[in-house]
Amino acid sequence: MPTEPQIADELHPRLAPGVRLQIDRTTGEGVLLFPEGILELNETAHEILTRCDGRTLSELVRALADEYDVDLSALAADVRETLADLQRRKLVEIA
Amino acid sequence: MTAPRPYAFLAEVTYRCPLRCPYCSNPTRVRNDRELTTDEWCRVIREAAALGVLQIGFSGGEPLVRHDLGELVRDAREANLYTNLITSGVGLDENCAHELRDAGLDSVQMSFQSDEPDLADKIAGARAHQRKLDAAAEIRAAGISLSLNFVIHRHNIDRLPQMIELTEALGAERVELANVQFYGWAFLNRAALLPTQEQVARAREVATTAKARLAGEIDIFYVLPDYYETRPKPCLNGWGQRYLTVNPVGDVLPCQTASSAIPDLRFENVRARSLDWIWRESESFNRFRGTEWMPEPCRSCPQKEIDFGGCRCQAALLTGNAANTDPVCTLSPNRAYVDALLRDLNSSSSHARAWMPRVNPKKDVVQPEADYAGTG
Repeated sequence: MPTEPQIADELHPRLAPGVRLQIDRTTGEGVLLFPEGILELNETAHEILTRCDGRTLSELVRALADEYDVDLSALAADVRETLADLQRRKLVEIA
Repeated sequence: MTAPRPYAFLAEVTYRCPLRCPYCSNPTRVRNDRELTTDEWCRVIREAAALGVLQIGFSGGEPLVRHDLGELVRDAREANLYTNLITSGVGLDENCAHELRDAGLDSVQMSFQSDEPDLADKIAGARAHQRKLDAAAEIRAAGISLSLNFVIHRHNIDRLPQMIELTEALGAERVELANVQFYGWAFLNRAALLPTQEQVARAREVATTAKARLAGEIDIFYVLPDYYETRPKPCLNGWGQRYLTVNPVGDVLPCQTASSAIPDLRFENVRARSLDWIWRESESFNRFRGTEWMPEPCRSCPQKEIDFGGCRCQAALLTGNAANTDPVCTLSPNRAYVDALLRDLNSSSSHARAWMPRVNPKKDVVQPEADYAGTG
Protein backbone atom coordinates (compact mmCIF):
# COMPACT_ATOMS: atom_id res chain seq x y z
CA MET A 1 0.00 0.00 0.00
CA PRO A 2 1.42 3.40 -0.93
CA THR A 3 1.42 5.79 2.03
CA GLU A 4 -0.96 8.69 1.66
CA PRO A 5 0.52 12.18 1.49
CA GLN A 6 0.81 13.70 4.94
CA ILE A 7 -1.64 16.47 5.84
CA ALA A 8 0.27 19.77 5.56
CA ASP A 9 0.75 22.00 8.62
CA GLU A 10 -0.94 25.04 7.09
CA LEU A 11 -4.21 23.28 6.15
CA HIS A 12 -7.46 23.86 8.07
CA PRO A 13 -9.35 20.82 9.36
CA ARG A 14 -13.08 21.38 9.83
CA LEU A 15 -16.12 19.21 10.50
CA ALA A 16 -17.69 18.14 7.19
CA PRO A 17 -21.15 19.52 6.29
CA GLY A 18 -23.93 17.75 8.15
CA VAL A 19 -21.60 16.61 10.94
CA ARG A 20 -22.17 17.79 14.49
CA LEU A 21 -19.97 17.42 17.56
CA GLN A 22 -21.63 17.39 20.96
CA ILE A 23 -21.58 15.92 24.43
CA ASP A 24 -23.75 12.86 24.97
CA ARG A 25 -25.71 13.73 28.12
CA THR A 26 -26.12 10.06 29.00
CA THR A 27 -22.39 9.28 29.14
CA GLY A 28 -20.79 12.73 29.42
CA GLU A 29 -18.52 11.79 26.49
CA GLY A 30 -18.12 13.43 23.08
CA VAL A 31 -20.02 12.11 20.05
CA LEU A 32 -19.98 12.91 16.36
CA LEU A 33 -23.42 12.90 14.80
CA PHE A 34 -24.01 12.62 11.05
CA PRO A 35 -26.70 11.25 8.70
CA GLU A 36 -27.67 7.83 10.03
CA GLY A 37 -24.51 7.61 12.08
CA ILE A 38 -23.12 8.18 15.56
CA LEU A 39 -19.45 7.92 16.47
CA GLU A 40 -18.62 7.74 20.17
CA LEU A 41 -15.29 9.52 20.60
CA ASN A 42 -12.37 8.70 22.81
CA GLU A 43 -10.90 11.59 24.75
CA THR A 44 -8.06 12.24 22.26
CA ALA A 45 -10.39 12.38 19.25
CA HIS A 46 -12.77 14.63 21.16
CA GLU A 47 -9.97 17.03 22.13
CA ILE A 48 -8.82 17.18 18.49
CA LEU A 49 -12.29 17.72 17.08
CA THR A 50 -13.23 20.52 19.48
CA ARG A 51 -10.28 22.39 17.97
CA CYS A 52 -11.27 21.85 14.32
CA ASP A 53 -12.66 25.38 14.31
CA GLY A 54 -10.84 27.13 11.48
CA ARG A 55 -7.31 27.09 12.89
CA THR A 56 -4.48 25.36 10.99
CA LEU A 57 -3.18 21.90 11.75
CA SER A 58 0.01 23.27 13.28
CA GLU A 59 -1.95 25.68 15.51
CA LEU A 60 -4.18 22.81 16.56
CA VAL A 61 -1.20 20.60 17.48
CA ARG A 62 0.49 23.42 19.38
CA ALA A 63 -2.68 24.18 21.37
CA LEU A 64 -2.97 20.51 22.38
CA ALA A 65 0.74 20.29 23.25
CA ASP A 66 0.47 23.35 25.48
CA GLU A 67 -2.49 21.92 27.30
CA TYR A 68 -1.27 18.36 27.79
CA ASP A 69 2.49 18.73 28.02
CA VAL A 70 3.31 15.92 25.59
CA ASP A 71 5.99 15.34 22.97
CA LEU A 72 5.19 17.54 19.98
CA SER A 73 6.24 15.21 17.17
CA ALA A 74 4.48 12.15 18.58
CA LEU A 75 1.38 14.27 19.16
CA ALA A 76 1.49 15.65 15.60
CA ALA A 77 1.60 12.11 14.20
CA ASP A 78 -1.40 11.05 16.32
CA VAL A 79 -3.42 14.07 15.27
CA ARG A 80 -2.63 13.50 11.57
CA GLU A 81 -3.62 9.85 11.82
CA THR A 82 -6.92 10.65 13.55
CA LEU A 83 -7.80 13.41 11.08
CA ALA A 84 -6.87 11.32 8.03
CA ASP A 85 -9.16 8.53 9.25
CA LEU A 86 -12.05 10.95 9.82
CA GLN A 87 -11.41 12.56 6.43
CA ARG A 88 -11.68 9.18 4.67
CA ARG A 89 -15.02 8.70 6.40
CA LYS A 90 -16.17 12.10 5.17
CA LEU A 91 -16.57 13.40 8.73
CA VAL A 92 -13.79 15.99 8.50
CA GLU A 93 -12.72 18.22 5.62
CA ILE A 94 -9.18 19.49 5.33
CA ALA A 95 -8.54 22.45 3.03
CA MET B 1 -33.55 -7.85 30.90
CA THR B 2 -32.57 -4.26 31.65
CA ALA B 3 -33.27 -1.91 28.79
CA PRO B 4 -30.25 -0.17 27.23
CA ARG B 5 -30.54 3.48 26.18
CA PRO B 6 -31.80 4.20 22.65
CA TYR B 7 -29.75 6.24 20.19
CA ALA B 8 -32.01 6.92 17.25
CA PHE B 9 -35.68 7.76 16.87
CA LEU B 10 -37.62 7.46 13.62
CA ALA B 11 -40.65 9.76 13.60
CA GLU B 12 -43.05 8.61 10.89
CA VAL B 13 -45.15 11.74 10.96
CA THR B 14 -47.59 10.65 8.25
CA TYR B 15 -48.21 7.77 5.86
CA ARG B 16 -49.59 10.15 3.21
CA CYS B 17 -47.34 10.52 0.17
CA PRO B 18 -47.54 11.95 -3.36
CA LEU B 19 -45.55 8.99 -4.71
CA ARG B 20 -46.65 5.41 -5.26
CA CYS B 21 -43.36 3.48 -5.14
CA PRO B 22 -43.95 -0.28 -5.32
CA TYR B 23 -41.22 -0.98 -2.71
CA CYS B 24 -42.56 1.32 0.01
CA SER B 25 -41.91 -0.13 3.46
CA ASN B 26 -45.10 1.37 4.88
CA PRO B 27 -47.78 -1.10 5.98
CA THR B 28 -50.12 -2.18 3.19
CA ARG B 29 -53.06 -1.69 5.55
CA VAL B 30 -53.22 1.09 8.08
CA ARG B 31 -55.63 2.08 10.84
CA ASN B 32 -57.52 5.20 9.98
CA ASP B 33 -56.90 6.84 13.35
CA ARG B 34 -56.09 10.51 13.63
CA GLU B 35 -52.41 11.43 13.14
CA LEU B 36 -50.58 12.76 16.20
CA THR B 37 -50.96 16.52 16.64
CA THR B 38 -48.06 18.98 16.72
CA ASP B 39 -48.24 19.13 20.53
CA GLU B 40 -48.26 15.36 20.82
CA TRP B 41 -45.18 15.06 18.59
CA CYS B 42 -43.37 17.74 20.56
CA ARG B 43 -44.01 15.87 23.81
CA VAL B 44 -42.80 12.59 22.28
CA ILE B 45 -39.65 14.30 20.95
CA ARG B 46 -38.83 15.63 24.45
CA GLU B 47 -39.46 12.20 25.96
CA ALA B 48 -37.15 10.60 23.41
CA ALA B 49 -34.36 13.06 24.19
CA ALA B 50 -34.78 12.38 27.91
CA LEU B 51 -34.41 8.64 27.22
CA GLY B 52 -30.98 9.29 25.66
CA VAL B 53 -31.86 9.49 21.97
CA LEU B 54 -29.28 11.53 19.99
CA GLN B 55 -30.78 11.49 16.50
CA ILE B 56 -34.24 11.93 15.03
CA GLY B 57 -35.26 11.05 11.48
CA PHE B 58 -38.46 12.63 10.19
CA SER B 59 -39.94 10.16 7.79
CA GLY B 60 -43.27 8.92 6.43
CA GLY B 61 -44.91 8.76 3.97
CA GLU B 62 -43.84 12.20 2.89
CA PRO B 63 -43.18 14.29 6.01
CA LEU B 64 -43.53 17.56 4.03
CA VAL B 65 -47.28 17.03 3.66
CA ARG B 66 -47.47 18.03 7.33
CA HIS B 67 -47.32 21.80 7.60
CA ASP B 68 -45.85 21.72 11.11
CA LEU B 69 -42.57 20.07 10.08
CA GLY B 70 -40.51 23.23 10.68
CA GLU B 71 -41.93 23.46 14.19
CA LEU B 72 -41.10 19.81 14.91
CA VAL B 73 -37.53 20.27 13.65
CA ARG B 74 -37.13 23.34 15.85
CA ASP B 75 -38.36 21.42 18.87
CA ALA B 76 -36.00 18.53 18.16
CA ARG B 77 -33.04 20.91 17.87
CA GLU B 78 -34.02 22.56 21.15
CA ALA B 79 -33.89 19.08 22.68
CA ASN B 80 -30.34 18.85 21.26
CA LEU B 81 -31.20 16.08 18.76
CA TYR B 82 -29.45 15.69 15.40
CA THR B 83 -32.24 16.24 12.87
CA ASN B 84 -32.54 14.40 9.59
CA LEU B 85 -35.34 14.73 7.04
CA ILE B 86 -36.11 11.71 4.87
CA THR B 87 -38.12 13.03 1.94
CA SER B 88 -39.14 12.51 -1.67
CA GLY B 89 -38.36 16.20 -2.20
CA VAL B 90 -41.82 16.77 -3.67
CA GLY B 91 -43.11 20.03 -2.17
CA LEU B 92 -39.69 21.24 -1.12
CA ASP B 93 -39.35 24.74 -2.60
CA GLU B 94 -37.04 27.64 -1.73
CA ASN B 95 -39.24 28.91 1.14
CA CYS B 96 -39.49 25.48 2.63
CA ALA B 97 -35.71 24.89 2.41
CA HIS B 98 -35.08 28.21 4.20
CA GLU B 99 -37.67 27.49 6.86
CA LEU B 100 -36.12 24.09 7.59
CA ARG B 101 -32.60 25.49 7.66
CA ASP B 102 -33.64 28.28 10.03
CA ALA B 103 -35.31 25.68 12.25
CA GLY B 104 -31.90 23.99 12.51
CA LEU B 105 -32.29 20.98 10.22
CA ASP B 106 -28.95 19.14 10.05
CA SER B 107 -29.38 17.02 6.95
CA VAL B 108 -31.71 15.91 4.19
CA GLN B 109 -31.90 12.43 2.72
CA MET B 110 -33.72 12.62 -0.58
CA SER B 111 -35.06 9.56 -2.33
CA PHE B 112 -34.47 9.10 -6.05
CA GLN B 113 -36.00 6.29 -8.10
CA SER B 114 -33.40 6.38 -10.91
CA ASP B 115 -31.12 8.85 -12.67
CA GLU B 116 -33.24 8.49 -15.79
CA PRO B 117 -36.39 10.68 -15.72
CA ASP B 118 -38.87 8.39 -17.50
CA LEU B 119 -37.89 5.32 -15.52
CA ALA B 120 -37.84 7.33 -12.28
CA ASP B 121 -41.35 8.69 -12.88
CA LYS B 122 -42.63 5.26 -13.84
CA ILE B 123 -41.34 3.75 -10.59
CA ALA B 124 -42.63 6.67 -8.51
CA GLY B 125 -46.03 6.54 -10.22
CA ALA B 126 -45.87 10.34 -10.51
CA ARG B 127 -44.08 13.05 -12.46
CA ALA B 128 -41.64 13.69 -9.68
CA HIS B 129 -38.08 13.39 -11.00
CA GLN B 130 -37.65 16.99 -12.18
CA ARG B 131 -39.20 18.27 -8.95
CA LYS B 132 -36.63 16.22 -7.00
CA LEU B 133 -33.77 17.72 -9.00
CA ASP B 134 -35.13 21.21 -8.24
CA ALA B 135 -35.56 20.35 -4.57
CA ALA B 136 -32.01 19.01 -4.32
CA ALA B 137 -30.71 22.30 -5.76
CA GLU B 138 -32.73 24.26 -3.15
CA ILE B 139 -31.26 22.15 -0.33
CA ARG B 140 -27.73 22.78 -1.59
CA ALA B 141 -28.45 26.50 -2.05
CA ALA B 142 -29.72 26.68 1.53
CA GLY B 143 -26.47 25.08 2.70
CA ILE B 144 -28.04 21.94 4.18
CA SER B 145 -26.14 18.65 3.96
CA LEU B 146 -27.63 16.40 1.27
CA SER B 147 -27.68 12.62 0.91
CA LEU B 148 -29.34 10.74 -1.93
CA ASN B 149 -31.15 7.47 -1.29
CA PHE B 150 -31.69 5.04 -4.15
CA VAL B 151 -33.70 1.89 -3.56
CA ILE B 152 -32.16 -0.68 -5.90
CA HIS B 153 -34.21 -3.39 -7.61
CA ARG B 154 -34.49 -5.36 -10.82
CA HIS B 155 -35.64 -2.38 -12.91
CA ASN B 156 -32.93 0.13 -11.97
CA ILE B 157 -29.98 -1.87 -10.64
CA ASP B 158 -28.15 -1.79 -13.99
CA ARG B 159 -27.96 2.01 -13.75
CA LEU B 160 -25.81 2.17 -10.62
CA PRO B 161 -22.93 3.99 -12.40
CA GLN B 162 -25.31 6.71 -13.64
CA MET B 163 -26.91 7.02 -10.19
CA ILE B 164 -23.48 7.66 -8.71
CA GLU B 165 -22.83 10.26 -11.45
CA LEU B 166 -26.09 12.00 -10.52
CA THR B 167 -24.96 12.08 -6.89
CA GLU B 168 -21.73 13.78 -7.92
CA ALA B 169 -23.55 16.22 -10.22
CA LEU B 170 -25.96 17.28 -7.46
CA GLY B 171 -23.15 17.92 -4.99
CA ALA B 172 -24.46 15.45 -2.42
CA GLU B 173 -22.18 14.38 0.42
CA ARG B 174 -23.46 10.87 0.69
CA VAL B 175 -25.38 8.27 -1.29
CA GLU B 176 -27.19 5.22 -0.06
CA LEU B 177 -27.55 2.48 -2.67
CA ALA B 178 -29.94 0.19 -0.87
CA ASN B 179 -31.03 -3.07 -2.37
CA VAL B 180 -34.75 -3.36 -1.76
CA GLN B 181 -35.68 -5.11 1.48
CA PHE B 182 -38.90 -7.07 1.32
CA TYR B 183 -41.39 -5.57 3.75
CA GLY B 184 -44.67 -3.72 3.28
CA TRP B 185 -45.43 -3.06 -0.40
CA ALA B 186 -42.05 -4.45 -1.41
CA PHE B 187 -43.02 -7.82 0.05
CA LEU B 188 -46.16 -7.90 -2.12
CA ASN B 189 -44.12 -6.88 -5.16
CA ARG B 190 -41.02 -8.95 -4.61
CA ALA B 191 -41.47 -11.05 -7.77
CA ALA B 192 -41.30 -7.84 -9.80
CA LEU B 193 -38.47 -6.29 -7.77
CA LEU B 194 -35.91 -8.95 -6.88
CA PRO B 195 -32.79 -8.51 -9.04
CA THR B 196 -31.05 -11.50 -10.61
CA GLN B 197 -27.84 -13.02 -9.28
CA GLU B 198 -25.90 -11.54 -12.24
CA GLN B 199 -27.30 -8.07 -11.64
CA VAL B 200 -26.39 -8.26 -7.96
CA ALA B 201 -22.82 -9.36 -8.69
CA ARG B 202 -22.29 -6.48 -11.15
CA ALA B 203 -23.83 -3.93 -8.79
CA ARG B 204 -21.58 -4.99 -5.93
CA GLU B 205 -18.55 -4.51 -8.18
CA VAL B 206 -19.71 -1.06 -9.31
CA ALA B 207 -20.36 0.05 -5.72
CA THR B 208 -17.01 -1.23 -4.45
CA THR B 209 -15.05 0.49 -7.23
CA ALA B 210 -16.91 3.79 -6.81
CA LYS B 211 -16.46 3.69 -3.03
CA ALA B 212 -12.69 3.52 -3.48
CA ARG B 213 -12.64 6.19 -6.20
CA LEU B 214 -14.76 8.68 -4.23
CA ALA B 215 -13.34 8.09 -0.73
CA GLY B 216 -13.26 11.40 1.16
CA GLU B 217 -15.54 13.07 -1.42
CA ILE B 218 -18.78 11.10 -1.37
CA ASP B 219 -19.61 8.53 1.26
CA ILE B 220 -21.12 5.53 -0.54
CA PHE B 221 -23.23 3.22 1.58
CA TYR B 222 -24.21 0.01 -0.20
CA VAL B 223 -26.96 -2.10 1.38
CA LEU B 224 -26.71 -5.78 0.45
CA PRO B 225 -29.66 -7.72 -0.96
CA ASP B 226 -30.14 -10.08 1.96
CA TYR B 227 -31.97 -12.91 0.15
CA TYR B 228 -28.66 -13.51 -1.65
CA GLU B 229 -26.60 -13.55 1.55
CA THR B 230 -25.73 -16.63 3.59
CA ARG B 231 -25.95 -14.95 7.00
CA PRO B 232 -28.68 -12.56 8.08
CA LYS B 233 -28.28 -8.82 8.56
CA PRO B 234 -27.80 -7.65 12.18
CA CYS B 235 -31.25 -6.11 12.05
CA LEU B 236 -31.58 -2.97 14.25
CA ASN B 237 -28.37 -4.03 16.05
CA GLY B 238 -30.72 -6.14 18.09
CA TRP B 239 -34.40 -5.69 18.92
CA GLY B 240 -35.03 -2.86 21.38
CA GLN B 241 -31.31 -2.01 21.66
CA ARG B 242 -30.74 1.25 19.79
CA TYR B 243 -33.78 2.23 17.74
CA LEU B 244 -37.39 3.12 18.21
CA THR B 245 -40.06 4.24 15.76
CA VAL B 246 -43.28 6.12 16.38
CA ASN B 247 -45.80 5.77 13.57
CA PRO B 248 -48.29 8.46 12.45
CA VAL B 249 -50.99 7.41 14.92
CA GLY B 250 -48.62 7.14 17.87
CA ASP B 251 -47.87 3.43 18.06
CA VAL B 252 -44.32 2.82 19.28
CA LEU B 253 -42.50 0.15 17.28
CA PRO B 254 -39.12 -1.51 17.77
CA CYS B 255 -38.92 -1.46 13.96
CA GLN B 256 -40.93 0.45 11.38
CA THR B 257 -42.17 -2.69 9.63
CA ALA B 258 -43.07 -4.62 12.80
CA SER B 259 -46.72 -3.56 12.96
CA SER B 260 -47.57 -5.15 9.63
CA ALA B 261 -45.08 -8.03 9.67
CA ILE B 262 -45.78 -9.36 13.16
CA PRO B 263 -49.55 -9.35 13.65
CA ASP B 264 -49.52 -11.14 17.02
CA LEU B 265 -47.46 -8.43 18.70
CA ARG B 266 -49.42 -5.68 20.43
CA PHE B 267 -47.87 -2.21 20.29
CA GLU B 268 -48.31 0.50 22.89
CA ASN B 269 -49.38 4.03 22.00
CA VAL B 270 -47.91 7.34 23.17
CA ARG B 271 -51.44 8.62 23.81
CA ALA B 272 -51.79 6.07 26.60
CA ARG B 273 -48.26 5.53 27.94
CA SER B 274 -44.99 7.39 28.36
CA LEU B 275 -42.22 6.63 25.88
CA ASP B 276 -39.97 5.73 28.78
CA TRP B 277 -42.36 3.03 30.03
CA ILE B 278 -42.92 1.67 26.52
CA TRP B 279 -39.17 1.44 25.83
CA ARG B 280 -38.32 -0.22 29.15
CA GLU B 281 -41.36 -2.21 30.19
CA SER B 282 -43.60 -3.04 27.23
CA GLU B 283 -44.00 -6.59 26.04
CA SER B 284 -43.39 -5.52 22.43
CA PHE B 285 -39.93 -4.12 23.19
CA ASN B 286 -38.95 -6.95 25.55
CA ARG B 287 -40.16 -9.91 23.48
CA PHE B 288 -36.96 -10.21 21.42
CA ARG B 289 -34.54 -8.20 23.53
CA GLY B 290 -31.20 -9.91 24.24
CA THR B 291 -30.66 -13.59 23.39
CA GLU B 292 -32.93 -15.48 25.81
CA TRP B 293 -35.80 -15.70 23.32
CA MET B 294 -33.66 -17.40 20.67
CA PRO B 295 -34.45 -20.88 19.36
CA GLU B 296 -31.86 -23.18 17.82
CA PRO B 297 -29.81 -22.86 15.68
CA CYS B 298 -29.31 -19.29 17.02
CA ARG B 299 -29.18 -20.19 20.70
CA SER B 300 -25.90 -22.11 20.44
CA CYS B 301 -24.52 -20.12 17.49
CA PRO B 302 -21.26 -18.18 17.95
CA GLN B 303 -22.74 -15.45 15.72
CA LYS B 304 -25.72 -14.74 17.97
CA GLU B 305 -24.23 -11.53 19.37
CA ILE B 306 -23.16 -10.47 15.87
CA ASP B 307 -26.34 -10.81 13.81
CA PHE B 308 -28.87 -11.23 16.67
CA GLY B 309 -30.66 -13.96 14.72
CA GLY B 310 -31.37 -11.57 11.85
CA CYS B 311 -34.67 -9.84 11.27
CA ARG B 312 -37.81 -10.66 13.29
CA CYS B 313 -40.08 -9.19 10.62
CA GLN B 314 -38.49 -11.31 7.91
CA ALA B 315 -38.83 -14.44 10.05
CA ALA B 316 -42.52 -13.64 10.57
CA LEU B 317 -43.20 -12.85 6.90
CA LEU B 318 -41.41 -15.90 5.50
CA THR B 319 -41.97 -18.56 8.19
CA GLY B 320 -45.08 -17.34 10.01
CA ASN B 321 -43.23 -17.11 13.33
CA ALA B 322 -41.27 -14.00 14.34
CA ALA B 323 -39.20 -16.03 16.86
CA ASN B 324 -37.66 -18.25 14.19
CA THR B 325 -34.14 -17.76 12.88
CA ASP B 326 -34.18 -15.36 9.93
CA PRO B 327 -34.60 -17.80 6.99
CA VAL B 328 -31.93 -15.93 5.01
CA CYS B 329 -29.41 -17.73 7.23
CA THR B 330 -28.18 -20.95 5.60
CA LEU B 331 -28.28 -22.56 9.06
CA SER B 332 -32.03 -21.94 9.26
CA PRO B 333 -34.25 -24.98 8.67
CA ASN B 334 -36.36 -22.65 6.49
CA ARG B 335 -33.58 -21.52 4.13
CA ALA B 336 -34.94 -23.84 1.41
CA TYR B 337 -37.88 -21.46 1.02
CA VAL B 338 -35.59 -18.55 0.12
CA ASP B 339 -33.55 -20.77 -2.21
CA ALA B 340 -36.68 -21.89 -4.05
CA LEU B 341 -37.72 -18.27 -4.49
CA LEU B 342 -34.31 -17.31 -5.86
CA ARG B 343 -34.25 -20.34 -8.20
CA ASP B 344 -37.58 -19.37 -9.65
CA LEU B 345 -36.62 -15.73 -10.14
CA ASN B 346 -33.30 -16.62 -11.73
CA SER B 347 -34.75 -19.24 -14.07
CA SER B 348 -34.86 -18.42 -17.75
CA SER B 349 -38.66 -18.59 -17.78
CA SER B 350 -38.85 -15.76 -15.28
CA HIS B 351 -39.97 -12.45 -16.77
CA ALA B 352 -40.19 -9.07 -15.15
CA ARG B 353 -43.62 -9.11 -13.57
CA ALA B 354 -45.97 -6.18 -13.15
CA TRP B 355 -45.96 -4.48 -9.77
CA MET B 356 -48.77 -3.10 -7.69
CA PRO B 357 -48.27 0.60 -6.91
CA ARG B 358 -48.52 1.74 -3.30
CA VAL B 359 -51.89 3.17 -2.35
CA ASN B 360 -52.34 6.10 0.03
CA PRO B 361 -54.08 5.45 3.32
CA LYS B 362 -57.64 6.69 3.26
CA LYS B 363 -61.01 5.56 4.41
CA ASP B 364 -63.08 3.06 2.43
CA VAL B 365 -60.16 1.82 0.37
CA VAL B 366 -60.26 -1.93 0.21
CA GLN B 367 -56.79 -3.18 -0.52
CA PRO B 368 -56.45 -6.31 -2.63
CA GLU B 369 -55.58 -9.46 -0.70
CA ALA B 370 -51.88 -10.14 -0.87
CA ASP B 371 -50.83 -13.23 -2.73
CA TYR B 372 -48.22 -14.35 -0.24
CA ALA B 373 -47.58 -17.51 -2.23
CA GLY B 374 -45.97 -15.07 -4.64
CA THR B 375 -44.13 -16.83 -7.37
CA GLY B 376 -44.38 -20.43 -6.12
